[in-house]
Parts: sequence; C-alpha cells; structure tokens
Amino acid sequence: MGDSEAKVHFHVVRFIHEAGMKLHLKSIPLSTASLIYHMFFQKNSLREFDPYLIATTALYLSGKTEEAHVKLRDVINVCYRTLHKTKPPLEMGELFWALRDSVSNCELFILRMLQFRVMLDHPHKYLLHYLKFIRDWFEPYKWDNLPITRTAWAILRDSYHGSVSLHYPAEHVAIAVLYLTFESLGVEPPHTNVCRSPWWKVFAEDVTLERIKSIIIEITKTYELEDSVS
Amino acid sequence: MSKTEDLEFPFCDDANKYEKLAKIGQGTFGEVFKARDRKTKQIVAMKKVLMENEKEGFPITALREIKILQLLKNDNVVNLVEICRTRATPYNRFKSTFYLIFEFCEHDLAGLLSNANVKFSLGEIKKVMQQLINGLYFIHSNKILHRDMKAANILITKSGVLKLADFGLARAFSISSKGAGRYTNRVVTLWYRPPELLLGDRNYGPPIDMWGAGCIMAEMWTRTPIMQGKTEQHQLQLISQLCGSITVEVWPGVEKLEFFGTMELAQGQKRKVKDRLKAYIKDQYALDMLDKLLTLDPSKRIDSDNSLNHDFFWTDPMPCDLSNMLSKHTTSMFEYLAPPRRRGPIAPNPNQRPVQNPDQHFERVF
Repeated sequence: MGDSEAKVHFHVVRFIHEAGMKLHLKSIPLSTASLIYHMFFQKNSLREFDPYLIATTALYLSGKTEEAHVKLRDVINVCYRTLHKTKPPLEMGELFWALRDSVSNCELFILRMLQFRVMLDHPHKYLLHYLKFIRDWFEPYKWDNLPITRTAWAILRDSYHGSVSLHYPAEHVAIAVLYLTFESLGVEPPHTNVCRSPWWKVFAEDVTLERIKSIIIEITKTYELEDSVS
Repeated sequence: MSKTEDLEFPFCDDANKYEKLAKIGQGTFGEVFKARDRKTKQIVAMKKVLMENEKEGFPITALREIKILQLLKNDNVVNLVEICRTRATPYNRFKSTFYLIFEFCEHDLAGLLSNANVKFSLGEIKKVMQQLINGLYFIHSNKILHRDMKAANILITKSGVLKLADFGLARAFSISSKGAGRYTNRVVTLWYRPPELLLGDRNYGPPIDMWGAGCIMAEMWTRTPIMQGKTEQHQLQLISQLCGSITVEVWPGVEKLEFFGTMELAQGQKRKVKDRLKAYIKDQYALDMLDKLLTLDPSKRIDSDNSLNHDFFWTDPMPCDLSNMLSKHTTSMFEYLAPPRRRGPIAPNPNQRPVQNPDQHFERVF
C-alpha cells in the first residue's frame, strides 16, 4: 500500500469512528466496521470505489452483525452530517433516496465480497482478560496509579486506523498492545527479572518476541502517519 | 446498466450452478428447494432469502442465520455449504436473489412421525433424542439459542444422523448482562412455546429450547404435538392442564413476568405429566426425563448437559443406530410434503378433525 493510500484510509477510519460514536456504537461494532472497510480495500482499489460509501456501508453492516442494529436512515443522516460539516443537514428527498439505495446495494456487494464471512475475532476480549489477570500481579496501589487499562484500550482503538488486526491472530495483537502499553509507560510487570519465561508466554504459547515486535511496528506506523497527516 | 449485467463476481457463485428439483418447505424467511449441483451431482437444499420490502437492506435474520451457521460446525447441526446469488437482469430489476445452500437431509422429524409406517423402537427413540440434545448442548455451549424448536425443524439424514435446522430465529445470548427487555418474546412456534415466553419473559435463555425438546420427545410416542393451543391464552391453559398450575410456589419469581397479572392462569391444576403420558410411554426413565424437561420454572428445568447424563440414555435398550430402520423408507418424508394433517392451524374442535392415517395405532393424547 502506498503512503498516500494509507493516509486516505487513516482519514476514513477516523470518519468511521466519529460517525460511529454519534450513532452510539460501541468498541466492537466500530472495530468490525473498520475491519470490514480494510478487508474491502485489500481486494479493491481506491480508484474504483468511494471510500466514504464503503465506510458508511461498513458501519451499517457492522451494526447488524454485532447485534447493535442502527437504522439505515440514521446511518445515512449521521454520515452525511459528519462528512459535510458546513452543509445544512440532509433533507428528505431525491438525494436521500439515492444515498439509501447506494448503501443498501453496496451492502450486498460487500457481503458477497466477504463471502458472508462476517464473524470477526477482535483482540478486545483477550486484552480485557489479560488486563484482569495481570492486574493481580501488581501491587494494588501501583496498578491504581498507572493508566495501564486506559492506555491499552486507546492503543487498541487507534490500531484500527491500520489493518493490523487483519494480519495477526487476535490474541497476539492483544499481547502486543499490552507490551507496547508497558513500554510506553515505562513499567514492567512484577518479577520480570526473576521469571524464567516472559509474562506474555502465559497468555499465548505460540507468540514470539519477534511477532510482538512486528505487530508493534505496524501499530506505531499508524502514529507516524497521524503526524504526517495532521 | 449493461455494465452491471456483465459484472463477474468471483466471490459468490451463481445459484444457477444448482438445478432445482422440488420445493420441499417454507422456512422462516423463504422457500426451500431440493436441488442438484449440475457439475458434481451433489444434492443440496436451497433456502431462498426473501428480500422484498426490505427497507433495511439484507435481512438481519438471514445474516444472523449465516453468521451462526458459520460458527456452528457439528454433526448434529445442519451444514451450510455456501451462499449463492442469481444474476442481476432487467427481469428482476437488477436485484439478485440470495440462496443459502445446505447439505441435503432426506427427512424431517415431523414428516417421519406423520407416517404411520415409520416405527421407532425405544432404542431408536433414544438415539433421536440423544442427538437432538447433543445438538442443543453444542449450540448452547456456543451461546446460541435456537428459538424455533419443533419437529419440522429437526432433520434426519437417510443414514440416521439428526441435524438441527432453521436458525432463522436463532440468536446469540449472553449470560452476564442484566436488565429486562432484551430479546423479543415473540419467538418459537406456539405449540412448542415454553410458559416463560407466554408470560412475556424477555430475559430468557437455553431452557426455552429444552422445553421444545420435551415437547418433541413426547411426540416421539404420541406422534402428534402434545399441546396444540389455538391462542397464547389457550396454550397456557393446556400447559397448566399437563404440568400443573403456574404459581409462585412451584415457580418463585413468576409473578415478576410481564403478563403474569394479565394472562388467565388456571388454579388448582395438578401436575400430571407422567400420569397422562404413561399410556403411551412405558419406559420409566423416559417418563422421568420428560417430566424434567417439561418443568414450568425455567431455572429448574433440566439443561442439555444433565439431560445427556440422564439414565434414559444409559440403560437398556441403549440408543441404537437409525440407518437400518430408515433404509426401509426410500422416499423423503418432509412435513411440507406430508398430507395436510399436521400443517397449519388445527381444526377448532378435536372431534371434527379428519381422521389421519387410519392405520395408525396411536390415539391423540389431548
């Protein structure tokens, strides 16, 4: 993927998150929408498809697949408003019907493209589990004074600006996110020096330090991208 | 428009690769056909996804069914082969139709039970029930509710493997979330609907499918649905007549259900599950398991795990293979194709009901 394409996707995923928050969608549907979007553009070119149409449809579809159904009407109004901040809100009329038709046709197209494989495994549940687990290793006061949970959750959310969750197993991404969290806060899980195996081996037998590092490199690329676009 | 017509979609096969042979049923959201793959000659079932009047795009029920079936791969759950679509042409106003393609099963349980020539031995009944509950155990441990248990949705292959089918009403459930008003209670065919749904529970779980399993189990002997209510009120009355009055004593917490105050509940009814069914069922273990499945209070109703451990399955005669018995029957038996006896609402007066299968030895229970 070229740098310019990555920038477009960065902006569009930010759009997905912004519109999705306004639609009161939670982390999982938002993540699914982002991944559907990324999956689409792994197989298709930006020259042929309008990324905002794909993003809007991905949002609508993820609401359905994650049992957080939002009305097509609301999706269209909110997405239109998010995209055209200076224009007046969308009126009921020809443009609305045309947008509605394109989103519902696009939904069928995306479903066909994904071969209806809409069950996605996200790192969230693993991360939550690991966090609960590792909290018990820390001294309570130390854990309470560190924003570990908040940082990890934010890093995971940001990672969806790129497509890292498409390329690696969800458990591994969750571990890498936690690893990066510790690094960026400058902490180590207790007894790291005396343990015979590293802490992350407890969570996934098959993960390697190399794997963790390459996931982290992919995640940090997104932050570099952010610097260059804003 | 011509560009749309010529588009090739590598991602989703054309439904035309299958040749439709016959209509075999009516699913929750569309017709079902028997069909043959033109190339491989494999026989499949095609379920049409109804798309008309869909203001909200691809139906969420169909999407749920697809998602659930992709997740549930088990011997006792129907296998989804693929999803196909028809070409967009001017004739269908460029709207293609989608089909779910399933592996083909020769019979459904309602069809088999409505044919008096099909006789199940006790060991064979056990095999049917064991596979049925095993299927439920599998879907429940994957946190899925079927929500439409009935004999017509239980498929059986000619080699005697039972498959739960029609996940058109199924959905995922979570154990932990609190708060009422979460799921719709307008699910499950009336005759198989458990009392908690009839009383407006919206926070139900796996026990709703276990009740259906109980109704189906009784039907293995009675050969006809045991409680054929005409209205929700009537269904509750039939349940009380069989399972005893619905009271706070037998079911603590029932008073909190939405329709507890509004539905008329028969008082002073005794529980007679075993009494009324012993005319049909001689096996004590069968009666005991049925009694536990048809428990009014969903929290006391036996779950799939404990059912599988019930003595019914572990005493002689042990569950035995169905393929021998089924090999005598070479034509498919589907409820949809059976004479109209079991289809649609039943006649209002039981005495005026036409005599079905005159050579059948079984009487109606209720």
